Amino acid sequence: MKISRAWLQKYFDEPLPDANALADALTFHAFEIEEIAGDMMDVKVLPNRAADCLCHRGIAKELSAILNLPLKSDPLRAPLPMMDIVSPYLRVEIENPKKCLRYMGAVVKGVKVGPSPTWLKEALEAVNQRSINNIVDAANYVMLDIGQPLHTFDAKNLSSINIRDAKEGEKMMILSGEIYTVPKGTLLIADGNTGEAIGIAGIKGGKRVEVTGATTDLIIESANFDSTAIRRTAQALKLSTDASQRFQNRPPPELAAYGMRDVLALIGQIADGEVACIVDEYPTRAPAPAAVSVPLAKINSVLGADFSKEEVADVFQRLGLPAEVKGDTFTVTPPFERADLSIPEDLAEEAGRILGYDRVSAALLPASDVGRSTSYMAEQAKYRGIEKVKDWLTERGFTEISTQSFAATGDIILANPLDKAKPALRANLDENMKEAMARATYVAPLVLAPNEKPKLFEVGIVFKKEGEALEIKTSEPVSGLPEIQEDAEYKPMRYKLDAYRPFSIYPFIVRDISFWVHSSDGETPFGPDVGKETMEGLIREHAGPLLTRLNLLDRYEKEGRISYAFRLVFQSMDRTLTDAEVNDTMRIVSMALAQIGTVR
Amino acid sequence: MEQPGRLHPITIAIRDIAAIFGRMGFGIAYGPELEDEHHNFTALNVPADHPARDMQDTFWVRDPERGKSPSGDSGDRMKTKEGEERKLLRTHTSPMQIRWMEKHGAPTRIIVPGKVFRNEATDATHEAQFYQLEGLAVDTNVTLAHLKGTLDRFCKEYFGADTKIRLRPSYFPFTEPSVEVDVWFPAQQKWLEVMGAGMVHPKVLQNAGVDAAKYQGFAFGLGVERFAMIKYGVPDIRLFHSGDIRFNYAFQEQPTANSQQTT
Repeated sequence: MKISRAWLQKYFDEPLPDANALADALTFHAFEIEEIAGDMMDVKVLPNRAADCLCHRGIAKELSAILNLPLKSDPLRAPLPMMDIVSPYLRVEIENPKKCLRYMGAVVKGVKVGPSPTWLKEALEAVNQRSINNIVDAANYVMLDIGQPLHTFDAKNLSSINIRDAKEGEKMMILSGEIYTVPKGTLLIADGNTGEAIGIAGIKGGKRVEVTGATTDLIIESANFDSTAIRRTAQALKLSTDASQRFQNRPPPELAAYGMRDVLALIGQIADGEVACIVDEYPTRAPAPAAVSVPLAKINSVLGADFSKEEVADVFQRLGLPAEVKGDTFTVTPPFERADLSIPEDLAEEAGRILGYDRVSAALLPASDVGRSTSYMAEQAKYRGIEKVKDWLTERGFTEISTQSFAATGDIILANPLDKAKPALRANLDENMKEAMARATYVAPLVLAPNEKPKLFEVGIVFKKEGEALEIKTSEPVSGLPEIQEDAEYKPMRYKLDAYRPFSIYPFIVRDISFWVHSSDGETPFGPDVGKETMEGLIREHAGPLLTRLNLLDRYEKEGRISYAFRLVFQSMDRTLTDAEVNDTMRIVSMALAQIGTVR
Repeated sequence: MEQPGRLHPITIAIRDIAAIFGRMGFGIAYGPELEDEHHNFTALNVPADHPARDMQDTFWVRDPERGKSPSGDSGDRMKTKEGEERKLLRTHTSPMQIRWMEKHGAPTRIIVPGKVFRNEATDATHEAQFYQLEGLAVDTNVTLAHLKGTLDRFCKEYFGADTKIRLRPSYFPFTEPSVEVDVWFPAQQKWLEVMGAGMVHPKVLQNAGVDAAKYQGFAFGLGVERFAMIKYGVPDIRLFHSGDIRFNYAFQEQPTANSQQTT
């Protein structure tokens, strides 16, 4: 949710700190901040608070509690005007009150559609919203301000609204001009007289009733739709909108009246017009959130803290949560927008986060041998048994690999694979082993000595019709390979790893060089008995930084001379080497080695 | 002499982590990678059709009898057979909280390492499969302060004695309160977010048959690759499960005494 500091300021008399300070306040007491850009903060509101905090009012309320700054006024606490003006201009009919919990429709006559005033344009642009016209902008503004999605229709030829399920194969053109065939049962807003669909409820309005420069009369919708219905439709149509994101998070139906109050006031202020009627179809009034009781001791025992009664009472007061205190027990009656508060632990969280988790001191668990009780030993022994086989294999020169669980074929097929070429779960480790072994054979000169060959193993879960199973796969048969068996006593080998050293993804070039050195006549610049280290040093010095691996291949003595053979592997971190440049390097290496022997 | 083989860095990391928690009295357990909807979501207080489901994009298993591809996450539309749970690849190791407590009750103290799956685009920090390590400690008096102390000690032992942790508010359906855990790395002068955690939601305890009026506890879930990436400076999570042995050999390896080992 993009939040503008200037917009928040509207809620406070005192000047707010800068966006960075606000971001810190939110980060440590409420929500993560995904981005700060100038005065705009992108606040990551998670599902538990999406009903009340996907709007500036919700964030302002949080900041008010965190910073202990009073709100100038809270639109959700201000009284509602009379909004039940019956008239012949509009009829609203809800077919299924389980899917449409509330529908408020207002008719506004004689509006002047035009550009929005500068303040409104700026407010919307500050949170990356595009200004369209004063009517659409007013509806957007109120949604971003207090969280109630709103929609405006051109009222020409529209006097009756019917909220109904879509019939088989029903199509409609949305505002963007795209035509959607909606699944049967999708909740639609329809023209009650003609039956024509004019909007996908809670998601997007229809083109036919778009508010344009020619519009003079409006119907304004402030409604509440069932979150599941909206969520399923948005998923099925792959059409996620500001409205659908809010409706799927169960905003309170009470909020619709506040949205209607505010949008009518704003339209009156910036587009003239006269409210001709407001219809409020609210079949079953939503129950107010139930009171929740929590003793101070419970709060402190969940948090492991030592908060005082006064501190906790102050938290509830700052959050605007009416709390009755009897003895040491708080009974909080959440306001309609805080239905997320339903158990004592929820209240412990409010106290903990507002007072700050930095005030919860770290404590170690008391000693306990529950983790070593007999009933746990079987699982423990399973872990140790698996690790024992891994150690057994590495001792015999096998290197452990880990591969993807997805496969081209198998017994278990995914309904929604990420890679369409691998829609199954692996039924064995064979394919991946073959692939890994081919690659290992190719890269072996980079990581293994010339006389070593790669040997691999994988221990992983495979998926068969009968169920999943742990399997071991080795790249070659191993005599005496133990089965994985429980072993309660085995202590897995432990290794210390140094920092990761990046490896090149570019091809490498292998060159061998061999030469004779005299073992006894001392006619080299390095004296007699030139050692392997000296030769390696000489090779490295002249081969330069592209030499990534150097191994002694072979050494033997014959008739007073010693033959040495080295293998050199060349590779660049950032490009493919050419034979020509490696040949040049090898010439330089040969010339250097000629000082101590005869290159063959 | 026989050439030495190399363990996979994930194996080394899990052994390190298991040893630290072992010293704090945690046992180790395994759970299935192929899970059912009940254990992966519903019993963990993540109802069908709830936006909280979006926090973990799920791989669903195709129903072999119907053979149709379900979309979305609706519970009702996709029931395989009457009363049968839909199968999925576990999106986290948390289902083992339920499975373990169903079997062993409380008090309890375990860690659960294992592969988990997320149906999301991959990049340097996201993989469709990775290893998670769940921790669960339940007793009559386990508090958020114990969570903080346990994770602080763990991070000091795993990353270094000069690190420290902090908690920030968060939300997970299966914990209340929920927190994010950041670790301070003095060398880089930087806080890094490393895991989600919280106090086990009373509904989760109840769903696993544990008396929530008597017991409370904490749970956490950490990404094993992420921990190894931070500790060793690995730049890309996709290196881990590529099957490429150059990855094993990209680290200098030293055997260490394992006498202190308890898990």
